[in-house]
Amino acid sequence: MSPNLLLAPILLPAALAALFFLVPKGVRYVREVLSVAGSLALLYLAFDLFKAKALGFKAGWLGMGIDFDLRLYHFAGFILIGLAGFLVLISLYSTVKMKDSPRVREYYAYVFLSAALANGAVLSNNFVPLVFFWEGLLLTLYGLITLGGKEANRTAVKALIISGFCDFAMILGIGLLWSITGTLTLSEISVKPEGLAAASFVLMMIGAVGKAGAMPFHTWIPDAAIDAPVTFMAFMPAAFEKLLGIYLLARITLDLFHLEARTTMSIVLMTIGAATIVLAVLMALIQKDFKKLLSFHAVSQVGYMILGIGTGIPAGIAGGIFHMINHAMYKCGLFLSAGSVEHRAGTTELKKLGGLAREMPLTAAGFAVCALAISGVWPLNGFVSKEMVFHGALESGYKIFAVAAWVGAIFTFASFLKAGHSVFFGARSQEVPKVKESPAPLVIPILVLALLCITFGVYNKLPLTQFIQPILQGQAEAGTHLDFTAHALSLLNPVAGISILCLILALGLHLFGWKRGGKKAYLASEPVHHLPVLHSLYDLSEARVFDLYEQGVKFLKGLSLALFKLVDRPIDAFFEKVVTGAGLRLTGLFQKAHNGQYANYLAWCLAGLLAIVAVVSLAVK
Amino acid sequence: LPLTLIPFALTGGELVIRKDLFPGLDFILVVDPLSVFMAIVSSAIGCLIVVYSLGYIHHEENQNEYYLMVLLFIGSMMGLVFSANLIFLYLFWEIIAICCWRLIGFYRLRDFVRKADKAFLVTFFGAVVMLLGFIQIYGQTHSFDLTQMRGTLIPGSAVFLILFGMFSKSATAPLHTWLPDAGVAPTTVTALLHAAVLVKIGVYAYARLFLSTFQIPPVWQQVIPILVVVSSLIAAGAAAVENDFKRLLAYSTVSQIGYIFLGFAVANEAGISGSLLFILMHGLAKAGLFLCAGIVIHATHTKDIREMGGLIKTMPLTAVAFLLCAFSVIGIPPFGGFFSKFLVIMGTVKAGQVGLAAIALFTAVLTMFYLLKAFSLVFLGEAKHPAPEKTPSMVAVVTVLAVASILAGIFVAYPMKLVNIATSQISWWYR
Repeated sequence: MSPNLLLAPILLPAALAALFFLVPKGVRYVREVLSVAGSLALLYLAFDLFKAKALGFKAGWLGMGIDFDLRLYHFAGFILIGLAGFLVLISLYSTVKMKDSPRVREYYAYVFLSAALANGAVLSNNFVPLVFFWEGLLLTLYGLITLGGKEANRTAVKALIISGFCDFAMILGIGLLWSITGTLTLSEISVKPEGLAAASFVLMMIGAVGKAGAMPFHTWIPDAAIDAPVTFMAFMPAAFEKLLGIYLLARITLDLFHLEARTTMSIVLMTIGAATIVLAVLMALIQKDFKKLLSFHAVSQVGYMILGIGTGIPAGIAGGIFHMINHAMYKCGLFLSAGSVEHRAGTTELKKLGGLAREMPLTAAGFAVCALAISGVWPLNGFVSKEMVFHGALESGYKIFAVAAWVGAIFTFASFLKAGHSVFFGARSQEVPKVKESPAPLVIPILVLALLCITFGVYNKLPLTQFIQPILQGQAEAGTHLDFTAHALSLLNPVAGISILCLILALGLHLFGWKRGGKKAYLASEPVHHLPVLHSLYDLSEARVFDLYEQGVKFLKGLSLALFKLVDRPIDAFFEKVVTGAGLRLTGLFQKAHNGQYANYLAWCLAGLLAIVAVVSLAVK
Repeated sequence: LPLTLIPFALTGGELVIRKDLFPGLDFILVVDPLSVFMAIVSSAIGCLIVVYSLGYIHHEENQNEYYLMVLLFIGSMMGLVFSANLIFLYLFWEIIAICCWRLIGFYRLRDFVRKADKAFLVTFFGAVVMLLGFIQIYGQTHSFDLTQMRGTLIPGSAVFLILFGMFSKSATAPLHTWLPDAGVAPTTVTALLHAAVLVKIGVYAYARLFLSTFQIPPVWQQVIPILVVVSSLIAAGAAAVENDFKRLLAYSTVSQIGYIFLGFAVANEAGISGSLLFILMHGLAKAGLFLCAGIVIHATHTKDIREMGGLIKTMPLTAVAFLLCAFSVIGIPPFGGFFSKFLVIMGTVKAGQVGLAAIALFTAVLTMFYLLKAFSLVFLGEAKHPAPEKTPSMVAVVTVLAVASILAGIFVAYPMKLVNIATSQISWWYR
């Protein structure tokens, strides 16, 4: 296969994006047909490339070791398939959902541009093109959020600044790495995270987990859930950004730096992961809006991936990566089903919805499968990957992280029981008029994703051996047992037992809250909400005290004001007042000297003469 | 005209034209990649600004003087860029200062003239101090001819004196406050000052003197990066506070100039080529921003961004052009600004100045903050002074600049070729 083919996954969607932007808005169907066909072609291409195993493309670019260097290998090919697959589903979904958007041209252009940039980022084998594509995504991120309407701009700016901060951190990390290793080619770098390299590791990690949306870089995601189009939510935070962020994190920890289990860096990563799981899921639990609830879960689940990769143990890493792809599937499915509900019912507020399962059976079924998968119910895919993460966390020796992961599992299931109960099951609410099932292009992607969740769960051997095992080859020490499928993933082992116990606990919690809340499902989380310490924490976070962005903006404003008032203005005042003042004083002095009296001038002349004589006589000596 | 020199420069040639006036004061022109690059950038952007002026200035008085001054301005820029004699460098330097003085005070209001005086006096003072530095160098080498002085180690005091001149011209803290005040000039002039000519002179002189010709004492190599980064940070902070559209952009220029100096000051390959590229990219984007601001101010008759709003409805092209140029200044790919900023940061880190690089990146976050703030205040929200885009030539120019910013990013390899050759020639001592 020719190496030039590697350009195709970048150029094809980019060309389509340009085309979509140019096709006038009035033209119907061309856009829809082309987007679905184009993304299918991309998917085919991705499979083709995956089979090709390894390819390289290299062209000179900026000099100084900065080449346009693309490299396809197993992991990249796997991510390419994932990206293309989600693109197909999203474009199919968008044909109906975005039909009436006033800026439909821009929407399609941004989506396909994102695909082009994401493919480029995955394929790059040099840091400069990687950052080029990676940061380019900021642009489409900003553009897509602004599509949400008038209020969306604030959120878009927020997303841009947060992600921009993370990306700049990554650039700094790359710079450090460059000065340490002297090369920018990814495949040539391999160092231990010690000393300066550790700083570089942390900075690049911020870039990766920031893209994936881990705490504390997540705060724009719940805001975007309200403001931005729901297809965007399913597309970027749920699928694309997770795939990219975790891909890079895996690259960093596996290839660029050798992260070893039970080292400081490993503990740092695991702490971030565990904190993200627990805090975000607690926020998710009390949300009263379907989309916002999902968006907090999109944050919480990243924690599992980071935790898994951070363990530095093969089972954990594989679990983290597997969780990434699984999460993209069910979270995408969940967002799409929320979109489907929104499409028909016109709202996503839990309070107003209820009992939609009878009218929208397919959406409800899709939702149910995805929700069970995210909660980690046997035999769905979420169960498998979560178990692997648990095993990894336990094996690393720090049981506290495993406990955190389990706590996360309890609340995840509880919050989905609440969501499902309030939207699809329970009593039919009176506030929403009678609705029909959504049209096929909306339902098909949801069902496909649900089906994939089942397949990946039941036949977990297939993806694990086909996709994930080869990624780890060469990473683990030779001779390590890499057959994850044999890793006691049956129901009958203590770890799985605890997980199941967690699920039962969650069910109990939900039923208890439901009873206490007067059998209103959307109030089922209130007992947790009103727990003594948690309650005050919730209030603080409602006031956005924990929002790093809000605090950061305050800090920026204060700093700017200080710089302006304390440094810039005094300098200006120096020129305006001191310099001109001194000039005036001096000229005033001279002016006074010119008083027009002859004797006075004569005295000055004499004084001058004396001075000259004195100088000359001194010089002669 | 400089376009014809591209192929010559690409081969890395160096041509010296010498015309004897009287001993020791030859009129020497040097054509090398660095000067060709600068000449192309400033003349191309200058040309676009003149086109824009046709629409902007056509109902003002004193048009003859305006065009005379603008052309003299660009012409002496060319002279400055190509001359290789310190005295002629100084002469052109002062001609520019005089043009600039007339142009800033173009509207002839009392307060405006005072601001123009301020700009003139600060830059003139800087230039005289710089001349002292030149004389000190003459005392050491007995020559003003740059081509003969390669590799001379010059004393720290001369560095200080010359640097004073450069900083005053390129508006680096603490000599920067005249630049925001110069915003009283017609917007075209401001754009010319900021983007194409004036502030780039100091930067160019830095590259020509301290990189390509002299060696400077190691102390200064440590101090200069710190100075410029601090300047960049202060200006970014001031920009985030300002509410006057043009003053905001002016502070942004001061901040970006800090980056350009930083790249040169760390003196390694990545930094220098990043800075050279930055001159081009910043020229394109900042000219675009100022000219967009010009259109907006022209139409709404106010300079306060809090009094504008909702203009994206009535002037969509200007709004989009502004946003694109802003992205380029912030440094988001695929815009040109990304590459230049990236290379400067890389160079800084490679020189071991990680802390400085971190501050510089923090400044970039601030940049993102204030430019987007300006964008949302001016173009989004409620419309307070709805006004249509009127003059097509003005809108066309900003569109061209915005598109050029994108293209310069996507096809960055082409300008980069010239930049790399210039870099390798400047850093002859590096090899």
